[in-house]
Amino acid sequence: MEWSLVLKDVCGMGLSFRVDGFRLLFAGITSYMWLMTSLFSKEYMAHARRKGRYYFFLALTYIATMGVFLSDDLFTTFVFFEMMSLASYVCVIHDEKPGTLRAGGVYLAVAVIGGLVSLMGLFLLYDQAGTLALGQLREACLPLLSGDAGERKRLFIAGFCILFGFGAKAGMFPLHIWLPMAHPVAPAPASALLSGIITKSGIFGMLALSADIFPHDGMWGFIICLFGVASMLLGGVLAIFSVDIKRSLACSSMSQLGMIICGIGMQGLLGDENALAVRGTVLHMVNHSNLKLALFMAAGVIVMNLHKLNLNEIRGYGRKKPLLKLCFLSGALGIAGIPLFNGYISKTLLHESIVEFLKLSHEGGWTLAFLSQNQAALLFRLIEWLFLLTGGMTVAYMTKLFICVFVEKNADPKVQEEYDSMGHYCTPLTAAVLAITAAVLPVLGMLPYATQDRLADMAQTFLHGLSPSHAVNYFSLVNLKGGFISIVLGGLIYLLIVRKLLMGRGEETEIYPNRWPEKLDLLTLIYEPLLLKIFPAVFGFCCRALDFAADGLILFFRRTTHRQLREPEELPADYVLPYYLGRGLNYASARFGCGKDGKRDYRQLLARRRSLSREAWRMFQASASFSLMMFGIGMIVSVIYLIVG
Amino acid sequence: MTGMWMLFPLALSLAGGLAAGLLRWRSRRGLLWLTGLALAANLAVTLGLCLSPSAQLSLPAFAVSPELLILFKADGLGKLFALLFSFVWLMAGIAAFEYMEHEQDNPRFFCFYLIVGGALSAACWAGNLFTYYILFELMTLTSMPLVLHSLSHESIMAALKYLFYSMGGAFLTLFGIFLFLTEGWTLDFVPGGCLGLESLNGRELLAAFLMVLGFGTKAGLFPMHGWLPTAHPVAPAPASAVLSGVITKAGVLGIIRCVYYVLGAGLLRGSWVQLAWIVLTLITVFMGSMMAYQEDLLKKRMAYSTVSQVSYVLFGLAALHPVAYVGALLHVVFHSLVKDTLFLSAGAIIIKTGKTRVSQLAGIGREMPATLWCFTLVSITLIGIPPTSAFLSKWYLALGALESGIPTVRWLGPAVLLLSALLTAGYLLTVAIKAFLPGDGIAMEKVKKHEPGIAMLLPMLVMTVLAVGLGIWPGALLDAVQGLAGLVF
Repeated sequence: MEWSLVLKDVCGMGLSFRVDGFRLLFAGITSYMWLMTSLFSKEYMAHARRKGRYYFFLALTYIATMGVFLSDDLFTTFVFFEMMSLASYVCVIHDEKPGTLRAGGVYLAVAVIGGLVSLMGLFLLYDQAGTLALGQLREACLPLLSGDAGERKRLFIAGFCILFGFGAKAGMFPLHIWLPMAHPVAPAPASALLSGIITKSGIFGMLALSADIFPHDGMWGFIICLFGVASMLLGGVLAIFSVDIKRSLACSSMSQLGMIICGIGMQGLLGDENALAVRGTVLHMVNHSNLKLALFMAAGVIVMNLHKLNLNEIRGYGRKKPLLKLCFLSGALGIAGIPLFNGYISKTLLHESIVEFLKLSHEGGWTLAFLSQNQAALLFRLIEWLFLLTGGMTVAYMTKLFICVFVEKNADPKVQEEYDSMGHYCTPLTAAVLAITAAVLPVLGMLPYATQDRLADMAQTFLHGLSPSHAVNYFSLVNLKGGFISIVLGGLIYLLIVRKLLMGRGEETEIYPNRWPEKLDLLTLIYEPLLLKIFPAVFGFCCRALDFAADGLILFFRRTTHRQLREPEELPADYVLPYYLGRGLNYASARFGCGKDGKRDYRQLLARRRSLSREAWRMFQASASFSLMMFGIGMIVSVIYLIVG
Repeated sequence: MTGMWMLFPLALSLAGGLAAGLLRWRSRRGLLWLTGLALAANLAVTLGLCLSPSAQLSLPAFAVSPELLILFKADGLGKLFALLFSFVWLMAGIAAFEYMEHEQDNPRFFCFYLIVGGALSAACWAGNLFTYYILFELMTLTSMPLVLHSLSHESIMAALKYLFYSMGGAFLTLFGIFLFLTEGWTLDFVPGGCLGLESLNGRELLAAFLMVLGFGTKAGLFPMHGWLPTAHPVAPAPASAVLSGVITKAGVLGIIRCVYYVLGAGLLRGSWVQLAWIVLTLITVFMGSMMAYQEDLLKKRMAYSTVSQVSYVLFGLAALHPVAYVGALLHVVFHSLVKDTLFLSAGAIIIKTGKTRVSQLAGIGREMPATLWCFTLVSITLIGIPPTSAFLSKWYLALGALESGIPTVRWLGPAVLLLSALLTAGYLLTVAIKAFLPGDGIAMEKVKKHEPGIAMLLPMLVMTVLAVGLGIWPGALLDAVQGLAGLVF
């Protein structure tokens, strides 16, 4: 079941689209998420200004996102990717507060810079491979990869450039800076979309890169895997430290996306045996979209009622609100990878793929050129544990959020009383939307063979993945062990770190202080000084110098060798008439006050006129006499001619 | 008899211009009618010429010597430029109807405006380099009064600077023309070159370089770009719009004619001239963007932006590769539309609010939404964000550069173009964002609308729609430009 559509000549290169299993799946998720968030927006945005703008750009973002997921060549992907970045910017900055505008600015800057670097990569790729069509890139790039070192290096440069843009959108370290900033300030429906599906469009690009440009390339997979590990760890740590509900969820997105990226890396590393990695990646994308939809909307309900995000302020809001509590709990259990919820399935697959790689490298089937077998085994054992640790951190920060909002009481009893009395906190429509999105999660988790496996079967051809040689038993003891380790680790982290280290004594009860050092921020520490200070200062100076070069040269000559001569101060002695006339005029102007400043020297003026006219007269004389002479010569010549002739 | 029509723009504009300048106009309306009709007639005749087959017209009566013929020829390249020039001229002219209400000496302005337009249209039809040079000079001289229009000291000094730079450039070109003429070539425009040489010797290469640099002066090529940032801010907005959008393109046309229609691209490929030229364009691209990024005066910022953007075109031409050539011609069209819209919106802001600095523009999108929407859309276009038009031209420019295979430049060129695009986002998008999203400081509800009248809005809207739409449906334009590229390679 495949359809394709080519719009020739549109945008010059022509746009091409295709519908296959993977694209259908993500087009479906996109539409589902847009439907849910739009319904949720009805109440969430009820009192907002400029609703028309919001809905217009929401719709535009939808079209662009669909375009990305349905695109069949990287040119089309890029066109819609850029549209999506710009359109979603307007949704993010909707409330126009200064903090929002700053976060939005960072989002836009990352998107624009990422887009341009990607574009450079596309230029290089197109130049080298001669095509951008996803169906043809694999054949075009395989010979380049196995070709000589120069070709391979150039392809890698192109690949990294493209990765820059897509990775930035997918929240990959070190380009993740926009994620924790933009999510808290955006309206909740927009945050859900940003985190749930727009980041996935970045993943889409990375998948295309890994599956079609660097198919089964160990080196590429290894690098991607390291990026993924860095993102998931940093995201997890940031989420644990965060004291803002939406920021926690955003950092959690970064962490989960890191897991997905890690899975993409494993696809390359495992080569032909990457079935588990492929399926795990796709399913975690699907699950994470659904999870973040539910979680951000639940958080959105809180924000909609309280207009507050800080955990200390919203603490206890969720008590005595069973629907909200259940919805959030479902999402929390899902993302924490608790068995019988959807996140568990995909995390298990991703974990299994790492284990599979370890097994293969033990057997000696897989070695990497740059790592010895022992080093590889050690490194990937470490990565496996880091993966489980990230799972543990997920458990910890979700527990922190849930306990804070839904279990504990607010520090201020009056506030708690007020919260408890807010029985009606959303319209039936919103409640229905919340319930549906949350109900999907356990269904996916309890019936993995009927739901998730089928989705994976549908999608894997896009990634050139094969079905695994034996069906995975998700609830076998081995697989449950991984999930169990994560849960234990999570419990330990929550009890030992969150409760002991990250909570401090407030005035009466324990509160959640922000323990993350303010200075430790990649944006203010490195990017902003580099891009906004050093770069303009250095290059601006050089350009200013260049800009002034020609003008400066002219100025230099005018001041030195080509200085215009001053007029003579003294009057020639033979200018009698101008002298006396000028004196008279000087006297008259001084006497009667005419003339603008009274300082004009009429003697000079008249003398200048005089010398000009004298010069002109001399020239006239000269030319007249010369003409006369020429005339005479002509006459003589004619006379001679007449006489001789 | 189609040939005679090629003289029509010049004759009509001269007549119209003189009438506008010399007659005593009792009402402004009559003057505007005259100008509008002349501009529209010019566009109509140009359109007719573009649709009719190629024609040639020689005027032996005006020949200076047997080599220096006055020759007109309607070829594809001329058609493209003539259509663009007369269209943009009409658009900016209409906008001037409203803008010039706020300035003195309207008859003088429209007089010179018409004459420059006529000279430019005629220059597109020039059939040899000599004719082109004469019309180019006529255009330079008559466009100077547009710059000094306000007659302030500053504007007169700016106009003089414009004149001196243009003259300096013209003399550089003249050197090349002399060299080639004295060796017995007629310098007729033939696609692919009229010299018929195997290679150029050192002196001829120098002459070629000087010709490029000379016409490059008009196109704002470093180090001869100095006049642009001086002349643009002082000229009335419609004048700066055409200075930047059209007159710089006359320099581009001159370079295309010299390099592709007189010398031939093959003669320069791989020579030091190509390398020097391409390095100069890259310096200009980056320097222009960087200067624009740090400039606060809106019109000056755009002048620097023009310096940078026109050098995108020159970069494409310097690559001497068909794909880059396509990109260059496309960028000529798109940049004209975009930059005219930008200058007109700057003009609208000036006459409606009197604000000239970027730092004053916070929240102005609420006062002039339509104007600022045009500004924003063409800004996005100029940055090259798909699916708008300048993305298309940059795509071709970069691919052409990569395919041209010039060592280092092949990848450095696209990288510099993209870096400059980033700076473009920095100096245009920030303005648009500040204009629409000033933050909480300004009360939103109490803002009064200051939208300019239809005479200014309509040209902006039309050009914005074209600038965006041509990127999505470039069909006919792209085919035409690819046909032109096929001729010269």
